[in-house]
Amino acid sequence: MRHLRKASVLTLAAALVAGAAFAQTQKSAPKEQYQRAPMPAGIQVVQTDEEGPLFATADGKTLYQWPFIQLRNGDAGDQKGKPTCTDALFKENAGLMSPYPGGFIMPDADTRLSCVQLWPPVWAPDGAANVGKWTAVKHPGGKMQWAYDGYPMYTSLLDKKPGDVNGGTRRRANRGNASGAQREPVGPPALVPPGFIVIQVATGRLLATADRQSVYSWDRDALNKSNCFDRCADEWTPVTAPEFAEAQGEWGVIQRSPGVRQWTFRGKPLYTYALSPEGRNASLQGSDVPGWHNVYTQPTPFPSRDFTLQDAASGQVLADKNGKTIYVYNCNDDAWDQQACNHPDLTQAYRLAICGAGSQEKCMQTFPYVLASRDAKSDNSAWSVMAIDPKTGRRAETGQADALRVWAWRDRPVYTSYLDKEPGDINGDSWGEFQGQRNGFKAIWYRDDYFNNAS
Amino acid sequence: MKKTTHFAAALGLMAGLAISASTAPRAASSNDAPAAAPVNGVIGYILTDEVWAVYQTPEGKQECPEGLNAWGPREQFKKMFVDDGKKRTLEEAQLAWEAKIWHPELGEDPFPFRGPVGNVSYGVNLDGRVDADDQITPDGVKGIDNQLYRAIGCIEEFRGPTGILHFLVNRYLRDFEFNRVLIEISGVEDMVNDPHVDVTILRGRDRMMADATGNDIIPGGSNRVDMRWGKKYVQRLTGKIVDGVLTTQPSDVTLPHAIFNQIPGEDHMKGAVFQLKLTPERAEGLLAGYSDIDNWYRQLNHSWSTHHQSYGQLSSPSLYKHLHRLADGYPDPKTGKNTAISSALAVKFTQVFIQHPPKEVASR
Repeated sequence: MRHLRKASVLTLAAALVAGAAFAQTQKSAPKEQYQRAPMPAGIQVVQTDEEGPLFATADGKTLYQWPFIQLRNGDAGDQKGKPTCTDALFKENAGLMSPYPGGFIMPDADTRLSCVQLWPPVWAPDGAANVGKWTAVKHPGGKMQWAYDGYPMYTSLLDKKPGDVNGGTRRRANRGNASGAQREPVGPPALVPPGFIVIQVATGRLLATADRQSVYSWDRDALNKSNCFDRCADEWTPVTAPEFAEAQGEWGVIQRSPGVRQWTFRGKPLYTYALSPEGRNASLQGSDVPGWHNVYTQPTPFPSRDFTLQDAASGQVLADKNGKTIYVYNCNDDAWDQQACNHPDLTQAYRLAICGAGSQEKCMQTFPYVLASRDAKSDNSAWSVMAIDPKTGRRAETGQADALRVWAWRDRPVYTSYLDKEPGDINGDSWGEFQGQRNGFKAIWYRDDYFNNAS
Repeated sequence: MKKTTHFAAALGLMAGLAISASTAPRAASSNDAPAAAPVNGVIGYILTDEVWAVYQTPEGKQECPEGLNAWGPREQFKKMFVDDGKKRTLEEAQLAWEAKIWHPELGEDPFPFRGPVGNVSYGVNLDGRVDADDQITPDGVKGIDNQLYRAIGCIEEFRGPTGILHFLVNRYLRDFEFNRVLIEISGVEDMVNDPHVDVTILRGRDRMMADATGNDIIPGGSNRVDMRWGKKYVQRLTGKIVDGVLTTQPSDVTLPHAIFNQIPGEDHMKGAVFQLKLTPERAEGLLAGYSDIDNWYRQLNHSWSTHHQSYGQLSSPSLYKHLHRLADGYPDPKTGKNTAISSALAVKFTQVFIQHPPKEVASR
């Protein structure tokens, strides 16, 4: 490799993250580099722990888009250049989800926020000029709103500090018309050569080829030197670099054999796995071969020692210390503005119906919270310990004596299920409306070899 | 009974896999041809079709003379929340309905429910008795235990070929490798009559080999055993072959079964038996046993949303009551109430070459 910068070389070995081997601490974890491009004044890029680099406002609030989606009985979301999130106060459901009709009064209707209260638009100054992919579009209220790649930009009331991404995810699991029109964070393109992409999966920002084959590294390679030849190369296909490719930043090119050049990332030669299942996106299966690891531009932080990973019927799930599978509660309501209903500061009516037929006491038995150990704390912004009022399921008041200290992911409590008896049981998975995607519980998958629950 | 294992060494080593002893019998020309023993005493099959066995006559006139079940989610919801101009809350309507699904033990079920009449049904005599309320197969076998049929037999969703659950189950059975069920019959000296054979259930990990239409799974394919996530599905049974029909001894059986995408699920049967007509290329028959009601109900609702249940007048909360009313096995030691219901899956298999992983991979 001829042009790799010395600084990059020095950080290589420790920075490469493999398989589901999470970073020991979030501070030591590598961060994804991104393509620099012009941005409007007041917009910046913030590194986030789970979603990589994301656009944010000057005060660090993550930016989201709300892509248009066709639901069962209608559609919701923004088309390019057409913001639809307004100050209208929806008190009734819209009937967008089969089989239920619209016209019913929403839970906690009197305190339900408007779309712009929950998702404040990112306003652009009058007369703002376009900047690269950034354009100013007209909001229905008359003001101008920034859009990126055509989609109007919003912040989330659920984000409190820079790096928070509590309003949505770039992951594709639990997405589609069953789960409603969801918001997703937006960031700059990853700094990868042509022919590579970065895919958001549960274990991190996964490096893959453009045709979505996962990329691997091998322990027996040396720094910037491949030792994988002959039989090794039968199963592990070097990712070749074209003749005109040049090293840049964390990316290098090595001469594998005369005339054959191979990409390296952070000093590690890159391969795809010839035995990966055909058509399976972002597979982690090659990491089962000893010495071989998936490659991430940045790994997902592992929550804490209060958690473990357990093998289940199709992959690995997050579990508590005793091996009980961890569940997240999903909820999007059925008003035109498709608001989240799975947050402890918002209505609890949906969750209570599903886990307790209206009873918080019953919910505490069917899907109990994951209590945090006494000294538990998180070293990343995705996981936290929060105080929950056990009588209501809402966030507890400061100093509330009977509050429960529970683990939360993206500012929402996580749960176990009364149905699970053995490590790896996933009997609570898909419990709720539309297979747990619309209003219900889904296991937190870290790897799924048969479906896309971890992507 | 032969216990030797044959390895197709050259081919297997080239692929880095131990090719198992699942080799097609030597004499095999048509599906109905009498079969000699497999060359190594072992034959493998792959599950291609699996639906709850429902006895049907044209338009259901014999078994459902009053018509099919008419009260699905839409109909019940409309009856409960009449459009009378009164404003109702989501909690007392939609959320209350969903709560009924997930907590069916609560509340009453006031809706009429139609189940099949008569006593004809597919199934197996699971308890070894011929009781007055047992069923009889269409070809006259008495003592059949299939109470599940009495619950689902007149629900459109479960009836073929148009019931949405009926046809989608098999589509997804084939589409999702998660559902890949293999059975390996070993120790076979005679495919027609053998007093003792071993049957191992395994989970495969590959697609099935289809013909040019894509609709028929053809024999001669291969499938690798999933020992990474599928160890829990390795189950060993014993059985016998009489007049070409394999019957296994009762045993608890769990099969991976994802009815819908992203929803890993399982079918559990207690005291289950395979009853399969074997040919060198196919195996067809029943997997019958006692389904744990709570598990069966959960599997249905995890996989199948209210939206989907609406297309076929399947009301889960109503069905739940009748599952318990008809339950006939595994009484709770404390309450004495039956927790399981006799049931039968109609299953079809096609011959396949089963590829076992090398031992070091299997033990990893």
